[in-house]
Amino acid sequence: MRKIAILAAIAIMVALLAPALAVAGPKEIKIGVIYPLTGSVAAAGRELRNGAELAAEIANNVMPKIDMTMAKNAGIKSLGGAKIVLIFKDHQGNPQLGADLAKKLIKDDKVVGILGCYHSSVTKTVSAVCERYGVPMINGSSTSPTLTKRGFKWFWRTTPHDKWFTKDLFEFLVGLSKGKVKGVKAVPMAELKTLASACEKTEWGSNVSLEIANFAKEYGFDLKANILYAAKSPDLSSEVQSMIATKPGAMLFASYTSDALLMIKTLKSMKAKPKVIWGQDAGFDKPEFRALGGEIEGILTRSVFLPSVVKMKPLAGEVNSMYAKKHGHDMDGASARSFTGLQTWVYVLEKAGSTEPKAIQQAANTISIPGKQLVVPWVGIKFSTKGDEIGQNVLGNGLIGQYQMKDGKIGLQVVFPFDMATAPMIFPFKGF
Amino acid sequence: MEDLAIQATKSLVSGLLMGLVFALVALGLTVIFGVMDIVNFAHGEFLMVGMYTTLLTSPLLGIDPVLTLPIAGLVGALLGVMCYFGLIRFLIKGPMIAQLFGTFGLMIFLRNLALLFMGSEPRVIHQGWLVGKSFIVGPGVVLESTKLAVAVLSLVSFAVVWWLINRTKVGRALTATSLDAEGARYMGISTEKMNALAWAVGGASVGIAGGLLVNFWPVEPGVGLLFTMIAFATVALGGFGSVRGALVAGILIGIIVNIPPVWDSMMRLVDVTGLDIHSFKYTMVYAIYFLIMVLRPQGLFGWKQ
Amino acid sequence: MEAIKNAFNFSDLPKTELALASAVLVFLLGFPAMPHSSFGMATMIQFLAFSLYGMGWNLIGGYGGQVDLGKAQYVGIGAYTTAVMMIRWNVPFWFSLPLGMAFAVGWSFIIGYPLFRLKGHYFAIATIATSLVLKDLFEVWNFVGGARGLELPIKGDFPNWLYLQFREDYYYYYILLGMFLIGLIYVNGFRHSRLGYQLRAIKDNESVARSLGIDVHWSKIKAYATATAFVAAVGSFHACYNYNIEPEDVMSLDLSVLIAMMAMLGGAGSIWGPIIGAAILVPMKNYLGSWLGGQAGFAGMDLALYGLIIMVIAAAQPRGVYGIVEAVRARRR
Repeated sequence: MRKIAILAAIAIMVALLAPALAVAGPKEIKIGVIYPLTGSVAAAGRELRNGAELAAEIANNVMPKIDMTMAKNAGIKSLGGAKIVLIFKDHQGNPQLGADLAKKLIKDDKVVGILGCYHSSVTKTVSAVCERYGVPMINGSSTSPTLTKRGFKWFWRTTPHDKWFTKDLFEFLVGLSKGKVKGVKAVPMAELKTLASACEKTEWGSNVSLEIANFAKEYGFDLKANILYAAKSPDLSSEVQSMIATKPGAMLFASYTSDALLMIKTLKSMKAKPKVIWGQDAGFDKPEFRALGGEIEGILTRSVFLPSVVKMKPLAGEVNSMYAKKHGHDMDGASARSFTGLQTWVYVLEKAGSTEPKAIQQAANTISIPGKQLVVPWVGIKFSTKGDEIGQNVLGNGLIGQYQMKDGKIGLQVVFPFDMATAPMIFPFKGF
Repeated sequence: MEDLAIQATKSLVSGLLMGLVFALVALGLTVIFGVMDIVNFAHGEFLMVGMYTTLLTSPLLGIDPVLTLPIAGLVGALLGVMCYFGLIRFLIKGPMIAQLFGTFGLMIFLRNLALLFMGSEPRVIHQGWLVGKSFIVGPGVVLESTKLAVAVLSLVSFAVVWWLINRTKVGRALTATSLDAEGARYMGISTEKMNALAWAVGGASVGIAGGLLVNFWPVEPGVGLLFTMIAFATVALGGFGSVRGALVAGILIGIIVNIPPVWDSMMRLVDVTGLDIHSFKYTMVYAIYFLIMVLRPQGLFGWKQ
Repeated sequence: MEAIKNAFNFSDLPKTELALASAVLVFLLGFPAMPHSSFGMATMIQFLAFSLYGMGWNLIGGYGGQVDLGKAQYVGIGAYTTAVMMIRWNVPFWFSLPLGMAFAVGWSFIIGYPLFRLKGHYFAIATIATSLVLKDLFEVWNFVGGARGLELPIKGDFPNWLYLQFREDYYYYYILLGMFLIGLIYVNGFRHSRLGYQLRAIKDNESVARSLGIDVHWSKIKAYATATAFVAAVGSFHACYNYNIEPEDVMSLDLSVLIAMMAMLGGAGSIWGPIIGAAILVPMKNYLGSWLGGQAGFAGMDLALYGLIIMVIAAAQPRGVYGIVEAVRARRR
């Protein structure tokens, strides 16, 4: 009887110690990735997932063709070649569920850190969990300006946010009046001065609406209509009528996919004809939107990655062709930013040389990734550590693309920044 | 001032059109309620099924989306009858709580079935007789062809249903069932058949509405919810079970949601900016609904509480 | 005194039920000490929260038979009171909790008076309407952050009892469990109270109740206000637990429907109903979601199944799961 007890005790000891021995030399680094894989934005979730997976594949294998430091080593070199393992979780756009999943990843799966979450509202609750547990989180795709205004010590964001993107728009409009845009002569300011905006009424859209109002004042534009509308509305004709009534030079939108489609259809049927139509990414940069074909020629959208960028960046071309070979279509803003988010994780871990949160924090705060390592057209990645924005990448910038027909296919061409333009801009918008 | 008059005309026209759209969507709901006192929370999902039916069958058969309307109506009717015999027949024995609960289940079921098979991406019809066409009548007053078609269909459907209920034998049997189901049974009316008929008519009308709506609106699995909410407000405002009430209430709601541009042009007249009431347009619908209901608890044209 | 005695008097319930309830209580008390995943813990917290929502709903929806589909507006009032007061004036949770409940009760009296002129479906849809109106107002009201929502500052030095900020979830769990037990005892007292009997009389037959001298309108309003307090309290807790609230999150129609659905599934009008409903639906939703939802190509499968189960239960037994239990018991006898 006693023998059995002793044996049992030994067996239990071994069972408890075995996993500890197994992880003595870290062969695996687990990163928890929380994205909306199902639900209403599942399409974006798929792109996000593909982007992160591709980055992990490049980090874990030697790929001499790709000119990136992380492609030269198999795994994290400073951690003895440890491989990146991604654990995906689906938050369905639900902030509460996101927070629960973050706890699961941190406590049950013992992840080193978190990547996510696309929806700014979910990123808020998830980063609050990370902050409480002291677990680092890198965000690559949420654009609400408030996220980096909270002074969090464990949160870093690689993507520029809506304030920058909106500022880009106004820089672009001013540039248009000064003749800086490729293929367009200086447009009299009077033609552009009047603006009308319609943004959807959730956390994202109402932030954009606020930024538009602020910048319009700052740049001396006349914002005649500043509309918030209920998302997934069955009817947008009253909004469009109000916008048309102000005879705007530019119409500005922040809409998710189904609203963006209905908006274009309503604009078309009401025969709206502003000089410029601009969308704040999201619905204006989705395959379903592109499927409208010739109807959307001339419409502008902001983005962080356009397939035409590859003309400027051979590296982006390499990665994009790998991506296209796997999934049958080009990378878009979502997959490119997710790729960059995970890439940043790899570089931070490489620099930290440890999986201790403190070391990672130290590395993230001092890291500097040059722009030529990235697929997105940024100057680089360097996080601010003081001032009113903590953890924000200060070297990022956005793009403005225009839909143009080329060989019978609709595609985006870069029109801003002016020195990166890939095609002459179509101006004014020719109408539907 | 002239600006304001033009805007008011524009809004009135689009309000009328949109109102008739809302009324058509609500028609099926009020027919079903009128006959058997049950509110179908899955009503918007029936609409979604109609939309997907046209979206899928039109390219499959190679015909214009408008020509697939009979198929959408048939699918809607079949769905209605299936729901009746598979679920509703059991639910009506229980209290109102169980009925609501059961149709909630149906709503979740249908919506997620669509998600499973169709994916979450919104889809649109790119080509067709009605797609992307509109007429300009008068100074800036636009009639969108899809909405116009829905409006015409709406008026026709209301006329047909009104005729069916008030002028035919079947209609009198339906009315008898709705007033006193037990009494109707004694008179030799098969209430089971009448109920199934109500579901078929309700399902068909909302199916056809969906088939026509998809010419303009993008369709995705969650599209039903806002239409359901508006259909509820329409039906309750008109008085549950009242066909005439649904028409009037639908138009009223259509006009309410088109007030904001008029307000904006009034504000321009007095040169005030920054008072945006667009975000309140559905709030106004619900608030007015609430006020009218409090003053007249049986709805505008309802006879029973 | 009588009221307190009533509240602790469970003796009219069947012995088997009491034995089962005690076993569940022991399990709930000991749960954090048992081996569990943190997702399991989060699920348990949600279970407790929805039980409480359901208990509140049950007072008016179950005992009173008035189908209320607008409970989310009170979740919102509670959550926003706590959040706004903490952010703007640094008010601790324990002070904002009763205030939030008071605001909710106040609001319920304001809209309850006209609401209860309506009956049946008209009432149900009017509750949806009021909830949506309030949500729309909060979405544009800048004082409470509009649609952008409010984020609670992390005060640090965990555990922070004053502001209800903890690193580990079991603190939240025990606080909510305490609220759960208080709620349960209150509902038990309510069953035996004068108002409780009046409501059941109204549910059975309103005109008879009126002829017995019951002020039908006033009784309904009182029960509605009481129900509201429950919901608002959990709303306050939710703000602290989640650290971030948005109208879309705390005041949505989905939440209202979910609250009503759990209580109806478990069995409206019985003391255990809302608890059974939450115990079935919350884990089912969470775990079905993480098993089926995460797989590519199965999106929607989990909730379709969920809907199917709800339909089957509604069709099989209009009084929910507890109704099935009662039916089985009646047959045995």
